Amino acid sequence: MYSDLIQSLPDVLAWANLAALVIGVLAGIIVGAMPGLSATMAISVLVPFTFGLEPLVALGLMAGIYNGAMYGGAIPAVLLRIPGTPAAVATTFDGYPMAQRGEGGFALQVAVVSSAFGGVASAFALMLLAPPLSRVTLLFGPAEVFWVAVFGLCSIIFLLGGNVAKGLISACFGVFVSVVGSDPIFGNDRYTFDRLELLDGIHIVILLVGLYALPPVIDLLESPLKTENSAGDHLGTEPIWRTFPRMLRFWKTWIRSALIGIWIGILPGAGGSMAAFMSYNEARRASKTPETWGHGEPEGVAASETANNADTAAALIPALTLGIPGTAVAAIMLGGLLIHGLQPGPMLFRNNPDIVFGFMWQFLFGAILLVFLGGSLATNSFAKLLKLPRPLLGSVIIVLMLIGVYSIHGRMFDVYLMLGFGAIGYVMDKLKFPLPPVVLGLILGGFAEENLRLALRIGRGDWIVLFQNVTSLVLVALTVAVVVGPMIKKRIVKARKTEGKV
Amino acid sequence: MQRIFKTLAVATAFVAVTGTAYAEYPDKPVKVIVGYSAGGGTDVMARTVAPFLEKYLGDGVSIVVKNVPGASGQIGVTEVANSDKDGYTLGTYNLPGMMARTLDRKADYDASSFTYLANVVNDPNVIVTSKKSGLDTMEKLLAEAKANPLAITVGMSSLGGDDHFLLNKLQTMTGTEFTIVPFRGSAPARTALMGGHVAMGILNISEVSAFKDEINVLGVALEERSEFAPDVPTFKEQGVDLVNGSMRGFVAPAGLPDDVKTKLIAAFDKLKDDAEFKAAMSATANPVQVVTGDAFEALNADLLDLAKKVWKESPWR
Repeated sequence: MYSDLIQSLPDVLAWANLAALVIGVLAGIIVGAMPGLSATMAISVLVPFTFGLEPLVALGLMAGIYNGAMYGGAIPAVLLRIPGTPAAVATTFDGYPMAQRGEGGFALQVAVVSSAFGGVASAFALMLLAPPLSRVTLLFGPAEVFWVAVFGLCSIIFLLGGNVAKGLISACFGVFVSVVGSDPIFGNDRYTFDRLELLDGIHIVILLVGLYALPPVIDLLESPLKTENSAGDHLGTEPIWRTFPRMLRFWKTWIRSALIGIWIGILPGAGGSMAAFMSYNEARRASKTPETWGHGEPEGVAASETANNADTAAALIPALTLGIPGTAVAAIMLGGLLIHGLQPGPMLFRNNPDIVFGFMWQFLFGAILLVFLGGSLATNSFAKLLKLPRPLLGSVIIVLMLIGVYSIHGRMFDVYLMLGFGAIGYVMDKLKFPLPPVVLGLILGGFAEENLRLALRIGRGDWIVLFQNVTSLVLVALTVAVVVGPMIKKRIVKARKTEGKV
Repeated sequence: MQRIFKTLAVATAFVAVTGTAYAEYPDKPVKVIVGYSAGGGTDVMARTVAPFLEKYLGDGVSIVVKNVPGASGQIGVTEVANSDKDGYTLGTYNLPGMMARTLDRKADYDASSFTYLANVVNDPNVIVTSKKSGLDTMEKLLAEAKANPLAITVGMSSLGGDDHFLLNKLQTMTGTEFTIVPFRGSAPARTALMGGHVAMGILNISEVSAFKDEINVLGVALEERSEFAPDVPTFKEQGVDLVNGSMRGFVAPAGLPDDVKTKLIAAFDKLKDDAEFKAAMSATANPVQVVTGDAFEALNADLLDLAKKVWKESPWR
């Protein structure tokens, strides 16, 4: 099972594949460092362009960007108290106070080392867990896949945090989009308005580019970023080999946060930002000096940054083995695999072991590269990136989006569709509707419908087929827990509060 | 500089346009429209055939493959039907799918929209069962189907395709009934079969040759055994006269000039005896069966009749 892992190594080390990884990590750090631009956006703009590339080159770029962006978000979080990506919000709590004290350089070094640690741990989790899991996935028939999809949809609605009703509305919109096209069993046209272009349904990349790339670009053009008086001018950076020993005392936090990040990554729905928050809270609770947290405690930066990178490769475990992505980024990566004719699921490990295991190595190497590329020397120049003219950057991204979407099928129809989704995404963003449920609604909604109908055909119309084995029942229990759990917790907290008042 | 390019471009275009009037076909690149994405089965076939077609058409002609994916090939084949009838636009053609779409969907083409050049691939159907089901011979399968009508679940790719038509033939011939479970494509159907979620599957031989140890392959729907799996008996040997498969070939719009049509069909005819071509096709798991011109048109008519019959008896939509 693991011998394929070793055999795929030479390919990963080939010059072009390694170069792709380096470029990916650099690009990721830059994207992550630009407030508003996220890994999801960068990869969705990139995917259509990877069509002509070798699969490993394309995947290397994606793995690199994902890892790089998760760290890159820490740069403006520390220097400007503006999280570069949503996952870096928790990094601002202690990173910015450190920068104000003139320890910005040290904060960034802690961030990069912690990010690399989280990324490496996550890559190992993917390497160890995915191959055995891929063998078990044959057990997942239509009934089980239906429950996985329902579980994923429920967890993204209820675990994402924020307003559950808004999450539900977003998810419903996504599920509605999944209905467009010919139906999965009989092939009847639904909402196609006699357009052949809509018959196959709406391509996930079109939706992603519109939803994730257009709104932030509009934001980028709308609001000038104030970078004066930033803490970036006096970082007080020391060479990393001198500061590294000071970080070793974080080892407990590193391990704890990595485990939290991996766990959150495997769960469908939640993503890097939730991993970072949870791990920050847990680390503070375990700390002997909780009073220093929020006032520039480097361990806080370590907790947040380890967890948001530990989420990356782990998020691909369900995506690669079952073909069911748990997060928006994993969904786009699957889109990238599909563009290369690689069908995720158990057969991927059998038919293309060199590629799937190569992809895992790339996550590992990408995480290690972070230390070198994002290390002390480079960090100084990344801080200056924030001063790039924003209108220029926004225009370049828009052009890339248009070309990329056009090139998927070579038709303008898709471009108009993408712009339409962009407009919807912009309005949703302004009204604070979460976007990830839309993406997962499109993917998981389609999965849920198709597999429910297949399962019912297998059971010849009898609903009992959905509850016939242990796997299904476990998934049902998990789904109920995700839906009911937060409500019960709220009740208990409320009850305690009223008790305290009495 | 730019002006020079412009003049050059106009000049070449002029030569190309006036050239066609008296030069012999082919004197410019021939476009082949593939109705599926690059890398898919039909696309691989088109790109494998292209260099051989270039060789036999001669005159240093080049074949350009253009992918127009969408709507199960319907967008591409409609573009072929509506293109210029000059022999410079050809297209890939899948059976029985392309004819079935004229029945179950509003299509802007029909059987008379094309000049039938050649069918190149015939990927015969196979009936497979999961190891779990215990139905490891055709005899056991039919006995079980007769004893418990509708109890056997059959995984296949979508309705209105070759898999579906084979099952329909089997049901009529043997007086049995099965429960159809139409997956989106063959790969998920095969995975469900391997996991034992459906008892039986109808696939194509190119899709099972690598999985012979994990599933039971009961028979192949050919006149004679396939070179891809010589140890798998035909259904005829087992007393059921089932012959069916998925076909892929090439068409041009209807009303091609006679000399152009003759030249194209002659070029495809030469594929029949080209050993190098056959080797290239086997390497990409494409079972070859070259049928050209009128014979191909007759084959198309037969499959249209079959589709009409199934559509009338048990419309799948």
